[in-house]
This record gives sequence, structure tokens and C-alpha cells, in this order.
Amino acid sequence: MSGGTDTGAEGFWAGDPDGAAGEYVLGTLPHDERVAFARALERDASLRAAVAAWEVRLAPLAGTVPAVSPDPGVWAAIEARIGDARGAEAAAPPRADIDPARVRRLERGLRRWRAASGMAAALAAGLALWIAAGPRPSTDGGHYLAVVDRGGALPALIVRVDLDGGTVQVRSLAAEAPPDRSLELWYIGAGAPPRSLGLVTDAARRTLPAPLRAPAEGASFAVSVEPKGGSPTGAPTGPVIYSGRLLRE
Amino acid sequence: MTLMAELCHSPARYRPQSRSPLDERMHAAGQGGDEPNVGAPTDADLVRLIGAVAEGDRMALRALYAATAPKLFGIVLRILRDRSAGEDALQEVFVRVWQRAGSYDPQAGSPLVWLAAIARHKAIDRVRQDRAARLIPAEDGFLERLADTRDGETDLARRDALARCLETVEPDHRNCLVLAYCEGWSREELAARHSRPVNTIKTWLRRGLMSLRGCLEAA
Repeated sequence: MSGGTDTGAEGFWAGDPDGAAGEYVLGTLPHDERVAFARALERDASLRAAVAAWEVRLAPLAGTVPAVSPDPGVWAAIEARIGDARGAEAAAPPRADIDPARVRRLERGLRRWRAASGMAAALAAGLALWIAAGPRPSTDGGHYLAVVDRGGALPALIVRVDLDGGTVQVRSLAAEAPPDRSLELWYIGAGAPPRSLGLVTDAARRTLPAPLRAPAEGASFAVSVEPKGGSPTGAPTGPVIYSGRLLRE
Repeated sequence: MTLMAELCHSPARYRPQSRSPLDERMHAAGQGGDEPNVGAPTDADLVRLIGAVAEGDRMALRALYAATAPKLFGIVLRILRDRSAGEDALQEVFVRVWQRAGSYDPQAGSPLVWLAAIARHKAIDRVRQDRAARLIPAEDGFLERLADTRDGETDLARRDALARCLETVEPDHRNCLVLAYCEGWSREELAARHSRPVNTIKTWLRRGLMSLRGCLEAA
């Protein structure tokens, strides 16, 4: 089998396409062959399938490599590069708000609410909540930043808080409520009972209640699992699946 | 001691200060404690994130980075052996993910396999540009038994099958496969290590691959 492409018969891999695919995955093809093979992959589905099969076969070896935390500056560099790489968000101001040097993983949660965590386990694992300040670095105290997760979990929601504009914006990335439940966002002022900010839904922007538009040191956000449509009591009734503290930018 | 399936790391090194979320997934899966399996990204989470990245969602890329960068950094570091070069490669990996997320097909493999492949290719491309980096010899202690690893992101059945089948591969061939895959050794470097012609190494690699495939497919 030559792979059936226009150049398959001439390709160096023609005699042993699967071996070449394996060596492509290993990285041992000579440079010229590697380049030619990569080019052929773009147009040859059978070669792509052969490569994919080798990636899967050998992947357990990569899985044995211990994880190493990269320097926080790496993300900043990536973000700077992708800012140039796509036009869609090019108009957005520099994203100082999510500089990882200032982003912190916060406390794991309101433990008293977590006793009934069976429902949380039913949610997609690895959820977290991002609360990011507005796009401008704050000079007036109106922007707050919190990163909320479940102890190293995968961030799943974005919540932007702009106290000046009085808005909270929630965007769901990987969060999924169980089919017959809703996720509800709560604001918890220092020493105050939780106050609902509404349900967590995609691309929802909601107004921050006026009493909450004050500097928010010590305040927290939390997300709980509630009956469809939200808590019937006005207070959280289900398990809290994310929480975290607001930080002044 | 039975044949060892040689691995990408030494046991002495595999003492992470803290478990990554990916590591935790495996541990949590087997424990069923009062916090079952929360806090670790599942394949479904990663698939969703990659889908959001494909639509240009930068925060999704940030989340994907948070979840996978340490593992991918470990992979590129094993090949590049230089933190600065590794961090450059890691940048390129995520820029590539940003540009190519739309090409990811969940049917073709798990998201971690896809991400690891991007990371390995970026690292290999880079290490081939800087041959001086390869003058560093492999450390003798880096081999390990595949069956002993306790790492979460790999399907256990696949891992066990690979470990078993690697043991059936001719030791020299296996050594070449593992050094190439884990550390990015080229044919020339392997030839120097084994004092054999480059063409012999090519033959060993091909035979090793075919032997491995035959064993895995017979399972």
C-alpha cells in the first residue's frame, strides 16, 4: 500500500508506511523525511490514521514522565503570543487581570456546605470558578479578582466582577449541572449570609445588587447545586462545588 | 528480576512534591473516599475545553494550560533537558493548541494523547535544531518499570499491555524505542550509543515497532 495519495508512490514511506508513521511518532526520521512526512500527513488520511494509532500505542510511556511545574511567566508569554495570533480578540485590552503571578488558587471551600457532596461528585469532575476583574487594571478599587477552584481542579467557569459597572458576568467552560439541577452563584460578604447572584448560565451578565457594590475585602463567591431554577429558600440548599475569595486588583 | 520495560523516568525522580490534578485523578478513582474524584479533569472536561479553545476562548486555553502544562512540561523537559528551552517549547505547544484546536478529533484519541503528541513533536523539532544539547549522555538510572508507575492519565489496560509487549521486544530494539520516544534520541545518537551504523538503528527501530504492534494487536 502506498497510501493512495498523489505522491504516495514516490514517498520514502511507500515501502513501509506504518514503520515510517511509527518513526515519525518516535521522532527518529531524518529531517528531510520528517518534513516530507509531516506534509504528506496534511493530505493523507491513511497516514494520519497510522500516526494516530502509534500515538495511542506509545502514549502510556509519555504518561510515566513526572509532571514539572513551568515558571509562571510561561503563561504570560503564551498569552502575549496568542494575542497576536488571532484577530478575534485583538481589540481587547491587555489582560493584566489574569496574570498568573497575581492569580491565586484559593481556599477549597465552605466546608460546612460540603457534607452532602454526593451531588458534587455527580458533576463533571475538575470544575472551578474564575472570578476575574474587569479589563482595566484597577486604580479605583472597583475591580476584583478571585480564582476559585476545587484544590487544583480544572477551571470551568469564568466570573468577571466589575464593581464600577455593577456587573457580574458568568461564563461556563466545563461546568455542567446535573440534568434536573441548576448551579447558583452566591456572594458572601464577610460575616454575612450568602446572597444569590442568580443561576450560572452561559454568557450571563447580571447586575450586581447595589448593597454589594462596596469594596469587597473578605468577600467570597460560591457556586452550589440547587433544584432546577434555583434555591427555593433564598439560601444555598445543595452542596457547594466551588468557592473562593475576592482579591483587590 | 524479570525483564524490565524501560521507562521515561527513574524511580528516584518520581517523587513529585505535590500531585498534579492529573495524577490525582487516578488516585481518586481508586479510593472512593468522601471526596470522590473531584478536582481532577476528565477527558470530557478536556474535550470541552479544547472545543472552547477552537472557538477562540482564551480563558479556556488558560484552563487547559492549568490542567495540563505540568505534564506536558515534564514531557518536553525529558527531551530537551533544559528548563529554558523547555519553557520555550511549552509556549510553542500552547500556541499550536490555540491555532489547531479545531483539528482535534475526539474520536481519534484522548485529549491527553493529542496534547502529548504536540508536545513531543515540538520538543523533537527543537532538539534537532540544537545538536549540542544531545551531547549529554543518557543517565543510567532513568529506566523504570512501566508496571510500577502510578500515573493517572493513562488507561490502565493500555499501559499494562504496552509494558507486557515492550518486554517481548528485543532488548536493543526496545532500548532504542524508549530512548527515542522518551528522550528524543535521533538515529545518529542511538547509533553512537550502540556503536552500530545508522542503518542498523533504522532497522532496529522498524523491527521494534513492528514487534510491538504485533504484540499489541494480538492482545
